Amino acid sequence: MTLLIGALIIGLILSLLALGVLVSFRIFSMPDITTDGSITLGASIAAILLVKGVNPIFATAAGALGGAAAGAVTGILHTKFKINSLLAGILVMTALYSVNLHVMGRSNVPLMQATTVASYGEKLGEWLAGGKTIHIFGWPVGAADAAVLFLALLFTSAAGAAMFAFFRTQLGTAMRATGDNPQMIRALGANVELNIILGLALSNGFVALAGALLAQYQGFADAQMGIGMVVWGLASVIIGEALTGTRSLGLTIVGTIMGSVLFRLLVAIALRWGLNPNDLKLITALFVFAALVLPGFLDRFKPRPTSAT
Amino acid sequence: MLALSGIRKTFNPGTVNEVRALQGVDLTIEPGSFVIVLGMNGSGKSTLLNAVAGSFYVDEGSIRLANHDVTKWPEHKRAKLIGRVFQNPFSGTAPTMSIAENFALASRRGHARGLGWALSPHLMKPLRERIATLKMGLEGRLDNAIGSLSGGQRQALTLLMATWLKPELLLLDEHTAALDPKSADQVIQLSDEVIQRDKLTTLMVTHSMQQAVSLGDRIIMMHRGRVLHDIRGAEKKRLRPEDLLDRFDEVRRRELLDESAAAMLNELYI
Ligand SMILES: Nc1ncnc2c1ncn2[C@@H]1O[C@H](COP(=O)(O)OP(=O)(O)O)[C@@H](O)[C@H]1O
Ligand SMILES: [Mg+2]
Repeated sequence: MTLLIGALIIGLILSLLALGVLVSFRIFSMPDITTDGSITLGASIAAILLVKGVNPIFATAAGALGGAAAGAVTGILHTKFKINSLLAGILVMTALYSVNLHVMGRSNVPLMQATTVASYGEKLGEWLAGGKTIHIFGWPVGAADAAVLFLALLFTSAAGAAMFAFFRTQLGTAMRATGDNPQMIRALGANVELNIILGLALSNGFVALAGALLAQYQGFADAQMGIGMVVWGLASVIIGEALTGTRSLGLTIVGTIMGSVLFRLLVAIALRWGLNPNDLKLITALFVFAALVLPGFLDRFKPRPTSAT
Repeated sequence: MLALSGIRKTFNPGTVNEVRALQGVDLTIEPGSFVIVLGMNGSGKSTLLNAVAGSFYVDEGSIRLANHDVTKWPEHKRAKLIGRVFQNPFSGTAPTMSIAENFALASRRGHARGLGWALSPHLMKPLRERIATLKMGLEGRLDNAIGSLSGGQRQALTLLMATWLKPELLLLDEHTAALDPKSADQVIQLSDEVIQRDKLTTLMVTHSMQQAVSLGDRIIMMHRGRVLHDIRGAEKKRLRPEDLLDRFDEVRRRELLDESAAAMLNELYI
């Protein structure tokens, strides 16, 4: 049960990363590998501030802002210096590796003693339950775990709703149009370059927020924790699209959150059954590869409409 | 009013692909004037419209529009003054977004975009009424993705979007060339209606002699990056398609003459 709850919590936290990837990959059609660096940046900034005793909420927000700044840099490299978007992401990700080591001062910062948002949740849970364990459907569950899960669910839903609302504002619709048809939105007076910079900042802000929360939940920040995370996010987005379709933005956002949680659960189960953890990234990459290629492959076997126009 | 003076634009200068697309264009267009732009393929019509819209900066010359010197304005800033419809029906709309959202974007042309809701009730009512006048049955489908519509429907909507806020200048670049004849007629009629009703200053590129004689109050004919003929006033009113064809033939003869002269020089000297 504890394992299940742990998987759910991490799935929910990483759904913020998946939402960030949804913005870069689906709204702007730019797979943005800055993600791998900015999740670690969010974790590093939050961790180092927490060790210094800064308020956890402030530390988390600072981590998210750090990620947003990194995303903006990628956006500037791409739009102002005309560097291919993939390469711009690679450059920033590489630079962030050093930045993160500088921020942390070493390659790993443990948070066992620090007060974090997770410890807030745990205290809240034990206070509400009046004890260490509660029973859900007859199962004994740590009150602390249950409270953290509940908070994670609440926070993720709020973040998803906020993203949905944002993309229905004047600025948000202009950003969606920037990904959809830049020529059109430029002719309607929007600054396409600025929108791309803002979009990548938003995307990486979400990613770094996930990093800051993940560090607090797992109790450490680590320079290596970002490796492969963009692919993880892509997998979640793709699973989400299979679950809810892509007809509306709201469904896509809900799907992405569900996709992240489901993916984490599947991974937890596979690991439980003896999957070698070293193979995890290989399998994730293969999964995304299959998801990208299979639809086109299957189409070839479908009967075609006889006349096309 | 639009005033161009001494506009020049060379693409890929100093390379084998050098193209002198505009070679000194001077042109003044009075407010409310509806100008048809004619010319053979490659004569610089699209380049002229793109130069005005700011798709690139011109090499020489100045562009004044509605009392602003816009020569150095970036494209998105000029969009405050300019409405555009492109040749390709896919160019003017955001395909995955709904009809209503596309119009919401158009309704902020030239204004700051903030955190207010894009789809305001103020927009929806006039939008539904205006779209109903198209008689395309689209007023009940405002939530549908605009990409699901036909090319003709999309061009009609793009035209309404471009003119939703009255532009100082409307640029139409062969905006019916990609449509079937029936849709093309509809879109042309709609364009003429909107232009007359709002007295829009308009530059419209077309290949159709019929459109050129029946629409607008002035024709300019481009050739090799220059304005070769400028027909206006009573002369424009009297003009018949045959007269225009004669002028095209004249251009073509001159072209042939140029080519044969070049060939002769080649033979003589190389
Ligand atoms: N972006 C560009 N880059 C290079 N050459 C261009 C570009 N745009 C137009 N040209 C060239 O400029 C000339 C004029 O083109 P254009 O203005 O599109 O002609 P048209 O009168 O058919 O609209 C053509 O030779 C064309 O190939
Ligand atoms: Mg053209």
